[in-house]
Parts: sequence; C-alpha cells; structure tokens
Amino acid sequence: MNGSNVPAAVDALQSRYISSLDRRDFDAWLGCFDEQGSYICISRENEEQSLPLAIMMDDSRERLKDRVSYITQVWAGTFEDYWTRHFVQRLECTPNGADSYLVVSNFTVFYTSARGGSEILVAGCYADQVIVGADGTAKFRAKKAVLDTTTTPRYLVYPV
Amino acid sequence: MSNLAIRWPANQAELPKAAFHREDLFQREIERIFLGPEWHPVAHRAELPKPGDFKTFRLGTAPIIAIHGEDGKIRVFFNSCTHRGTQLQTQARGHAKEVECPYHRWLFNTCGDLLAAPGSESFPESFRKQDYNLRELRSSDYYGVIFVTASPAAPALEDYLGELKPLFAKVLGDSRLTLLGYQKVMFSSNWKEYNDNEGYHAPLLHRAFRLLKWQAGKGTQRATEYGHVGLDAELQSVPNSDFLNDPSLVQCRDGTAPKSVIIALFPLATVLKHIDVINIRLVIPHSVDETEVHYAYFAHQDDDSAMLRHRLRQSSNLLGPSGFVSLEDGAVFNRIHQGSMTPGNVRYQKGIGAPIAPPCIVGQNDESANPLRWEYYRKVMEIERERL
Ligand code: FES
Ligand SMILES: [Fe+2]
Repeated sequence: MNGSNVPAAVDALQSRYISSLDRRDFDAWLGCFDEQGSYICISRENEEQSLPLAIMMDDSRERLKDRVSYITQVWAGTFEDYWTRHFVQRLECTPNGADSYLVVSNFTVFYTSARGGSEILVAGCYADQVIVGADGTAKFRAKKAVLDTTTTPRYLVYPV
Repeated sequence: MSNLAIRWPANQAELPKAAFHREDLFQREIERIFLGPEWHPVAHRAELPKPGDFKTFRLGTAPIIAIHGEDGKIRVFFNSCTHRGTQLQTQARGHAKEVECPYHRWLFNTCGDLLAAPGSESFPESFRKQDYNLRELRSSDYYGVIFVTASPAAPALEDYLGELKPLFAKVLGDSRLTLLGYQKVMFSSNWKEYNDNEGYHAPLLHRAFRLLKWQAGKGTQRATEYGHVGLDAELQSVPNSDFLNDPSLVQCRDGTAPKSVIIALFPLATVLKHIDVINIRLVIPHSVDETEVHYAYFAHQDDDSAMLRHRLRQSSNLLGPSGFVSLEDGAVFNRIHQGSMTPGNVRYQKGIGAPIAPPCIVGQNDESANPLRWEYYRKVMEIERERL
C-alpha cells in the first residue's frame, strides 16, 4: 500500500485492538492478529534481564484462541471483574521488509473495580510487528506488551 | 508476652475470621514468625549463580539481600547500612563487585566486610571497623534453596523440613537449575489467606480440571509438626485435551510420569513441580491486607532447547497469577479477605474427624491439614484457645 497511509492503517489497528479489549469483544481481539499472529505480555524486569518468562505467552493462533476460552469459559464467574481503559500513543513505525512494519507505542491501562474506584493497572510499551495488506488493512503478526509495572496491583485476567 | 485479646475458639476445626484483619496480630507475626525461629526461603542458587550476583527480598517487612560472595559462598544480610541504616541495594537483582552505601560512601565487599568509612579518623576512638560489617542472617541451603532465619533459636534446617525433605528431590532434581524469570503480583488479602489453600477446592474452583475431565491420581498429603504441608500426587494424563487448541500446555515431556508435588512451607513459601513447571513462590506480607507474591520459574541445566521451550511455554501460562489452572486462587484470596470482615468463626469440614496431631498423613482432597497449620501458628503466636 501507499507508504503515506501506513501510519493511519496502524493507528486504526491500534484503536480496534484497544477498543476490543475495553469492550471485551474477544473475537474482535482475535481478529486483530493475522494467522501467524502471536501475543506476549512480559514484565520489563524479565525483558531487561533476558529472562524469557512471560505473564501471557500466546505464541500461536491456537494459544490466542485458548486465551479467549480461558476468559470466557474457564475463569468466568470466579474472578473479581474489572473494567479497563487502554490509552496508546504510537512512537515509531519503521518499515521492516515487504508490507511489514515495526511499531513501538507507549500504553497506560486504567482499571475500575466493582467497588467503583479507578486506578492504573499497568504502564508500559508495545513492541509490535504489523503487516499492512494491499487493501490497506493492518494486522498484528507479533504483539509484545512489556509492562513497566513489575508487580501488578492485581492478577490480570484480560490481555493488555 | 501478654495474651492478645482475640477470642480463639476451643474447637480445633474453627478459626476466628478476625485473624485475617487484626493489626495487633500482624505486628506480633512479624516479631514471632518472620523475625522469629522459623526458616524462610529467599532464593534459589540459580537466581544468583555467579560471584557478585545479588538478589534483594524481604523477611517479613525487613529488607534483606542475598549476595554471592567472591569466595563462592552465598550470604544473606539485612539490606541496610550499618552506619545509619540506609537501604543498600534497591534493584530486585543485579551484579556488583562491592556494595557502596550512597549516603556517606561506606564500602563493603561481597562477603559483607566493611572495607572503608570516609572520615573515620574523626570517629570516636572506640570505633572498630569489624563491628560494622553487614549484619548477616543465619542461612542454610537445601537443594539450592537458600533459607534464612533471624533467630538463633531456629532448629537445624533439615529437622525443620522434617518429613518433607524427600519431596525436594522430586521438585528440584539434582538442583542444577537455570532461572526462566518471574511473575509478580499483589493480592488484596492477608498472607494467611494466601497460605490457607488446600486440596478440597482444586477440582471445584478450577473449572479447567472439569473441562479437561482431568483428575488427580493417587497421592499422599502430609502435615508436619512445624506447620508444613506436602503433597505428592500422580496426575492422570489429560483425557480431554480437545478443550485446548494447544494441548502442550498440559503435557508432560520430561520423561517422567506427570505429577504434582507441592511443598507448602510454614509460614508462606511454596516449592512445587506441576507437570513440567518448576516453581518457587516467595511472599512478602506488606500489611494486614496486602500480600505480594513472586513466582520464580526454573528449567533444568540439562534441558535441550525443545524441553526448555516447552517448560517456558508451560510456565508462562499454566500456574501463575494469570494461569489457566490457578487464576481463580487469587480471586479467592481477595474474596475471603472481604468476606472475613464479618463477625464469627469459620469451620473446616472436609476430612475433619477426631483430633489428629502432626506429623501425619491427611486426605489429599481434604482441608484437614489447615487446622493443623493453624494450631502451629497459634502456638508460635502464644494465643490461647477459649475453654470448652
Ligand atoms: S548511612 Fe550508609 S554510609 Fe552513612
Ligand atoms: Fe487452587
């Protein structure tokens, strides 16, 4: 696609991604990844010390789909629910081969518990590989959320 | 010590809910348990493999630091300068040739010795450098797990671990491990709610087991006289892994029969192996209603790249604060904490019969080890029961 439209396509993908999470539309969340897509959520502490352990490691389509069933079928009804608001700011978008772009963005996620207060859940940065197709739609090939928040204030149910 | 004014029921199977909320209990727990004659794991050797490596942690609320000394020995100190008490290292893990306090630049080596104190020519004549080495805690290790105690009255570590000693080899093998990384989370619960987990809930709370039609096989659960509980159980291979698109999450690939081996130590730490996940959980009791848990995961040094990858993928998604078969535990810790702000006692039921005394074997899917742990707690805390 015309390179000048790439940032707009990437931003549209980011918006779809965060709105699917905030609306808890996990099919839409899954739809943000391409067939080879992967999602990793890892602490900055591990990342900086080259410790590969993640908080969520969905490195295949199968695992992405399993993540959705954890939330909707396995854990449903047991956990203390919370509502999220994701804020994303794109910092870099660099070409990385045919139709592929490396995208770096900061994020903050607020959460509101059933008790009614709102606080910061996590802050961090996304390091993503985005594929922009000829029709101008973008999807994640690889999405990595690196959490500055090393000790999360509660257990995470939903992806970031 | 004067008795605390808490009404502790006469029946051993009962517990006052106030135990999870009383500030005065928390203060006494810090003195009697966390700084008292119990042993507390602070690290596995694999977390600080080289001389100069260090790891900071807390003993109760007190900052501590484990340092792998230039002489090859791992020592644990209070993470506090011997001059005016400044915290020495602030990072969770790191590497340093020396330890320098930033405030007045007193300098210590990795064995804790004070090397230099600027301006010492104008210190009082009575000042002797050797009196100001870092304050070392008594430490001892077992299968690479480094334990500390702030009290000279703690028994020998192996006596303390007692009947659970054979489980360490089942979890840690020959103890030649490598660190995969950490998951860290804060629970809005009391540390005693966190450690009050049992086998009764597992197939009920965790729907994953039901969806997979996955049941525990034969096993043994023991309670020891120091309040520890150990489980050694076979796991059936999963009949309905169709539920998962990626069944490797619950597959055992290390060449042994799949097992769940859990060493739940008093007061708080857990050393466990579940399928191929090797996990040590260490806990910081911040306050009466804030408990921080660090899940450290390990691989074995002899793992080939496929096994390493498998352990990493299983460890990341199975058993942590956001794990497939474990997320609900955190929810329950927090929900018990809220629900316990109500008057009265709770009563354990499953497997409770005539009073028993540790060391003993208890039912694998019972909650009968819990009152035994509470009984040990009550004695350490010097709380008296009401008379019948
Ligand atoms: S407090 Fe550490 S040198 Fe003074
Ligand atoms: Fe559980």
